[in-house]
Amino acid sequence: MSGHLVRIDGVSKRFGERVVLSAVAARFLSGESYVLTGDNGSGKSTLMRILAGLDPAESGTLEMDGRTADLASYPEWLRGEIVYVHQHPYLFDTSIAENIGFGLRARGMEAAERRRIVAEALEWAGLGHIARVRPSKLSGGEKQRVAMARAKVLHPRLFLLDEPTANLDRDGRHRVLDLIHDLGQGENCVVVACHDQELIQLPFMRQFRLDSGHLASVPRPGAKPVSADRTLA
Amino acid sequence: MDLIEPTLDAFRLLFTGDPKLWRIIWTSLYCSTVAIALIAPFAIALGFLIAKVHFPGRRALVITVQGLLSFPTVVVGLTLYMLLSRQGPLGFLRLLFTPEAMIIGYMVIAFPVLVVFTLSSVQGADPRVYETARSLGAHKLMAAWTTLREVRFGVMASIFNGFGRVVSEVGCSIMIGGNIAGLTRNIPTAIALETSKGEFAQGIALGFVLIALALGINAVLSFIQGEGGMT
Repeated sequence: MSGHLVRIDGVSKRFGERVVLSAVAARFLSGESYVLTGDNGSGKSTLMRILAGLDPAESGTLEMDGRTADLASYPEWLRGEIVYVHQHPYLFDTSIAENIGFGLRARGMEAAERRRIVAEALEWAGLGHIARVRPSKLSGGEKQRVAMARAKVLHPRLFLLDEPTANLDRDGRHRVLDLIHDLGQGENCVVVACHDQELIQLPFMRQFRLDSGHLASVPRPGAKPVSADRTLA
Repeated sequence: MDLIEPTLDAFRLLFTGDPKLWRIIWTSLYCSTVAIALIAPFAIALGFLIAKVHFPGRRALVITVQGLLSFPTVVVGLTLYMLLSRQGPLGFLRLLFTPEAMIIGYMVIAFPVLVVFTLSSVQGADPRVYETARSLGAHKLMAAWTTLREVRFGVMASIFNGFGRVVSEVGCSIMIGGNIAGLTRNIPTAIALETSKGEFAQGIALGFVLIALALGINAVLSFIQGEGGMT
């Protein structure tokens, strides 16, 4: 049974005079996967970046595990709970294995344990054969899988994936879709911003749409009932 | 002017281990290396901060540091001379005409080179580097270090450029080093002195060393960049 994981409320952001997000509110449940749709420039990436602490909100709160964070001044404790993967993930100029172990090292995990977890993650992402390869040698799909494995090893409560299937070929997209499905299986939750119709139509995906700064859930015939709040804006 | 004879003499001085010559080379390498090692952490950190943090007066600071790049080294020497001379505010330190004074001068000269090159490298870095590190839970210092690692070739170029600038510097060395044989005489000041005396062999030998250093630094930089997986 899905439980309440993350609740955001009153998230607002403007660039100059242009209101990008207007008091956005939503509730994300653990064990669920969400797709965030909207036209180009509708604020999908802005919302994801605010949730990841990469850009400050003008106002808004995020509640998780009974703790409330002000999204205008992102607290450090939240960084360990939410991991954001860019549309075109940046891989550090080192081996794939070291890329995947980066966050674990940041958390001070000892090398032997880190190696074990990285090996498992490489296997999970189907990247075991290129563990020592440099990122510059990888295809777009492989880079995306490395980034997802790098996020997965941290066991965040919330995965934020920005256009993870953009510019991937058919095979690469299917592999990434499989991994997205897998990421949403545990006690965590996945939010994917995208335009990819194949991803949007996946039966396990619940849909939100951003329009004119407002976020609304999108019911779909035959799909699971949407279990997140509608916009409060 | 016969160039062959003094050039042959120069090689003889170099390869027979002439102690006076090698003392001069040592003074140059020692003062330059220590100066760069001492100033690099501060200059690189400042270059990173200016590139990443927006604060009031940032633009003015950038313009000032860039302006310092073309600041005449002899004026740096003059300023330090006035500070370090007996009547100067720092005269009690008794540093004038010592290798330590030269190291201070070199630090001042290298500082803007390192700051500007680091600033430029970090500004050119992909912004996703810092963001990715932060999103993966790295604290600010680790994210900054990760960014510097990603632009390490630019940072190394700044260090080598700073070294190149001070190792071949004359004006400041003479002003605050005094060109004292066996103590503060370095490669550029020795070349100037020997040439003025008509002793070309030692000047040519030291010139070879400077050229070899410049080529060596560039070779090391190119090698490291090639090894860095820059494909």
